[in-house]
Amino acid sequence: MKPVSFSYYRPNSVAEALHILAQEEEAKVIAGGQSLVPLMNFRLSRPKTLVDINGLRELAAVEADGKVLRIGALVRHQELLAHPLVVKHFPALAAAAAEIGHWAIRTRGTIGGSLVHADPAAELPAAMVAHRGVLVLTSARGERRVDADAFFYGYLMTDIAPDELLTAVELPLPSGVRYGFAEHARRPGDFALAGAFVEVAETGHAGAVTWFGVGGRPDRQEMELSPDASSRERQFAAALAEMDGPEDEVEARYRRQLAAAAAEQAYQRATASGRGN
Amino acid sequence: MSITQGPLKPQFTGARVTRLEDARLLRGRGRYLDDIDVPGTLHVAFVRSNRPAARIVSIDVEGALAVPGVHAVWTAEDCGITLYTERYDVGQPVLAKDEVRFVGEAVAAVFAEDRYVAEDAAERVRVVYDALPPVLTFDEALSEEGRRVHAHRANLFHHTEHETDGFAGAFANAPHRAQATFVTHRQTGVPMEPRGCMAQLDAATGRLTVYVSHQSPHQFRSQLTRLLQMPENQIRVVVPEVGGAFGIKAMLYPEYLVVADAARRLGRPVKWVSDRTESLLADAHARDNRHEVEVAFDDEGRILAVRDHVFGDTGAYPFLGFPGAVGEAGWATSMLTGPYKIPHVSITVDCVFSNKAPEGAYRGVGGPVGAQVQEGIIDLVARRLGKDVADVRRINFIRDEDFPYQTATGNVYDPGSYAESMEQALALIDYERFRREQAELRRQGRYLGIGICTFVEPSAGAESEAGSTPYEAASLRIEPTGTVTAALGLGPSGQGHETTMAQLIADQLGVDIKDVVVIHGDTDSAPFGGGTGGSRSGTIGGGAALRASQEMRQRLIKLAAHLLEAAEEDVELVDGHAQVKGVPARAYSVRDLARIAYTDVARLPEGMQPGLEVVVRYQPPLSATYSNGTHVALVEVDVKTGFVRVLDYVVVNDCGRLINPMIVEGQIHGGVAQGIGSAFLEELRYDDSGQLVTTSLMDYLLPAATDVPRMRVTHIETPSANVGGFKGMGEGSLIAAPPALAGAVSDALAPFGVFVTEIPVHPRQILEWVQGGVHSA
Ligand SMILES: Cc1cc2nc3c(=O)[nH]c(=O)nc-3n(C[C@H](O)[C@H](O)[C@H](O)COP(=O)(O)OP(=O)(O)OC[C@H]3O[C@@H](n4cnc5c(N)ncnc54)[C@H](O)[C@@H]3O)c2cc1C
Repeated sequence: MKPVSFSYYRPNSVAEALHILAQEEEAKVIAGGQSLVPLMNFRLSRPKTLVDINGLRELAAVEADGKVLRIGALVRHQELLAHPLVVKHFPALAAAAAEIGHWAIRTRGTIGGSLVHADPAAELPAAMVAHRGVLVLTSARGERRVDADAFFYGYLMTDIAPDELLTAVELPLPSGVRYGFAEHARRPGDFALAGAFVEVAETGHAGAVTWFGVGGRPDRQEMELSPDASSRERQFAAALAEMDGPEDEVEARYRRQLAAAAAEQAYQRATASGRGN
Repeated sequence: MSITQGPLKPQFTGARVTRLEDARLLRGRGRYLDDIDVPGTLHVAFVRSNRPAARIVSIDVEGALAVPGVHAVWTAEDCGITLYTERYDVGQPVLAKDEVRFVGEAVAAVFAEDRYVAEDAAERVRVVYDALPPVLTFDEALSEEGRRVHAHRANLFHHTEHETDGFAGAFANAPHRAQATFVTHRQTGVPMEPRGCMAQLDAATGRLTVYVSHQSPHQFRSQLTRLLQMPENQIRVVVPEVGGAFGIKAMLYPEYLVVADAARRLGRPVKWVSDRTESLLADAHARDNRHEVEVAFDDEGRILAVRDHVFGDTGAYPFLGFPGAVGEAGWATSMLTGPYKIPHVSITVDCVFSNKAPEGAYRGVGGPVGAQVQEGIIDLVARRLGKDVADVRRINFIRDEDFPYQTATGNVYDPGSYAESMEQALALIDYERFRREQAELRRQGRYLGIGICTFVEPSAGAESEAGSTPYEAASLRIEPTGTVTAALGLGPSGQGHETTMAQLIADQLGVDIKDVVVIHGDTDSAPFGGGTGGSRSGTIGGGAALRASQEMRQRLIKLAAHLLEAAEEDVELVDGHAQVKGVPARAYSVRDLARIAYTDVARLPEGMQPGLEVVVRYQPPLSATYSNGTHVALVEVDVKTGFVRVLDYVVVNDCGRLINPMIVEGQIHGGVAQGIGSAFLEELRYDDSGQLVTTSLMDYLLPAATDVPRMRVTHIETPSANVGGFKGMGEGSLIAAPPALAGAVSDALAPFGVFVTEIPVHPRQILEWVQGGVHSA
């Protein structure tokens, strides 16, 4: 359980990082290392070069202007869940970040790493899709912005190019809607078996559910959310039936049941307090 | 044996003495195998089979040898040691020869400057396989057309039958009969510190020192002596700090022989430490059992006869001296009747080879599976008759007046507290109130349940996975300055023997526990003993410590009496002094006595040898002593997710005289935690092609702190006839927890007709039961 050998860079600026990514073959960014290092130790990932971005403090900020909250790629899960701006504007995101792994993992793992790794059962990719976030990708060739919904392709696959660095995500500040989040994991700290973000309008029944853990990527579906619990149950089941699930049929059925149960809980949370948890 | 005990007022024995080990362990100062760092060491990476069954066509090591930093690459041609079990005529080559028989079997060993290089090179060893159809289940192993795992012999390697006289009549004439098939899936011990071995030849003396993370230093040395064909006094085995063992570290593994042989022949220190994937692939597996059970009972729920046909899958090879399936089936069937008076049994055991990893010992061995059957049939009878599960236990319990009780399986139980432990446990959890609440909550759509397991744990037996050494040894010396050093043949892995043994010794010698040091784990300094396994250390090891310190105590009293010109009966040992009873002024300190014994020998009484040193071996009078207790689990099943939460857990434990209740409770906490893993989380899963798919702790789920509830533990003390009155208790908690937890799920889901017969219980399965209609036994 040892990685193959690799060369290691620790750049001091984003420009330097982009330069290395442009120059070196088979280079990979390392942030918290919580997904990459296990893959390397199993020799499933064999980068020739690691570019350690932990020195790039400019990627570690959380800032809000009047319209968006900007979260730097290097913000750790543990910072995210406790940050006053996140808690204030995106309580469901804060609640979701609290469910990631264990304390030791959250103090290392970063939002950028989680989004680029794109595990279908991870909380943060779904949170970005649910909140209609935009990912800011930078390379020596320039900067581009990609909607979260377009960024995630499928199991561990995204729109990022090998020479690109994810520098930040931008979330439009919500107005007139409330979010709720819930998930089901086998043990606290495990990746979720299934989970959901639910969005409901403060007036009327317009809403959306973003599911994760069922298909290969987070899936946001807009729907009128009935105030009647048994109608909602049917709505959720119908929506989930349309989604691709795991190959194993029994497992797929189980994931859909958990996802439906999570959506109902998330709905309760969204409507009960306006707080995400 | 009559040694005057004197009016001993134990100060330490029975007290919650803080563990002497903890200061170093909790500060991260323990030195484990991997901390041994000798310059010039070669590190080993094993090339392991990725096939469950295949002929080895060729192995090409050239690519690996070309990697800079690689010193050697071995295959079976270079190291031909075979772990051969005569009884079954099966040998396991330490590096696979001609054929591989399970995924994870070591095929080649790479020796390199560090583990990174060794793994780089291991990737470059080219093994060409010719696949064979794997044998993966009992039914495949037993079928006529099935392939043989070992071509020269049948897969069925162990078959026994035992039936009590009159079974057939009792079974046929019973008013009721029911049947169920109990299945437990593969699990393993998963010690936090993985296995490992390091060996080093002393070029000057030719002695080989082998460091190993193991439970039984002397047994290991005996095995090395035989397999390496070296004189016993040329091998020194050192067991450093061990970070958990749970039975799996009592086994002899092929890797150890490769390491030891290489150190000898390559002339460099050699070290191998298992990584977690290797551990899951090739540590001893356990619990791959099926019990087909029929039970006959009367209208009251009295069990009249039980028939059990056991199938055990031991994997590809028998561990030397302990083929896991045989050990498990033996224990499970021998303890089948548990605390109940069941007059008739009919037992058939079939153990087979398969193309899966070898099975060996894991804490509790066949106990948890046997208890699953024993409690399962009680719950089944209760359900069939519509009776309360506690009442059916009451009517079947062995009562105080029945001891010593001979079971239908041939054990003789010494006195215990079976019924009492259950009554106390039910009172602790407030059983009657729970039943009322349960009914009310069900109406609200919440499903809570209680499961009960009253276990009997055979302990301190003559034979166990630690070998067949029916005694334990203690050497004790008082140093010339009066401090005490004891050495035992035990092999602790976190149990706190340094504390418990010191408690016993300090009390006998009337000294402070801080003046007693207990050492173990080095065959150069520890007396030959059995090691740790089979819940023997506290009882047999404690007996040895007690006997050795009693002998020492006699020596001190004799010397003091001579010096004080008093009668021996008038001398007592208190607070580090030997004094004339009630006259503290007429005293010698232990320190002075020690000085005199070593350096002022003219003052010794006639015939007394200089020095203060004894070696004692203690063999208990009973072939085993049986501890007991009752676990009650209270769980809630979420019928929307299938998740089970343990809401409350109580244990009433009886292991005879307690040496240290805190340590006993720690053993119980850990056992229950492992029981939660067994019942709900842990499973080594092979897919249909014979690949192990649970090769990391992402897939092999262990209970986390959040899965383990606060539990309440109380004690009953029914002493054994062993010296000190102790009974072993290392395994009972893991024996009792899985059936208690499985029973609680059955109870919670009774409205759905659910009766759990297979563990671990998966949440997905629970939803299938709840939604897919009735699953019944
Ligand atoms: C035991 C355990 C439990 C876990 N449980 C959960 C869980 O419940 N939920 C969950 O969501 N996650 C979980 N994780 C994963 C954890 O959240 C990781 O932190 C996260 O997935 C990756 O973040 P990282 O910063 O560690 O990224 P790294 O491991 O450093 O990198 C991951 C990938 O992202 C790339 N990358 C990282 N940063 C950037 C960047 N700025 N630009 C471009 N590419 C980048 C890397 O090249 C790599 O491919 C768990 C991890 C462990 C070890």
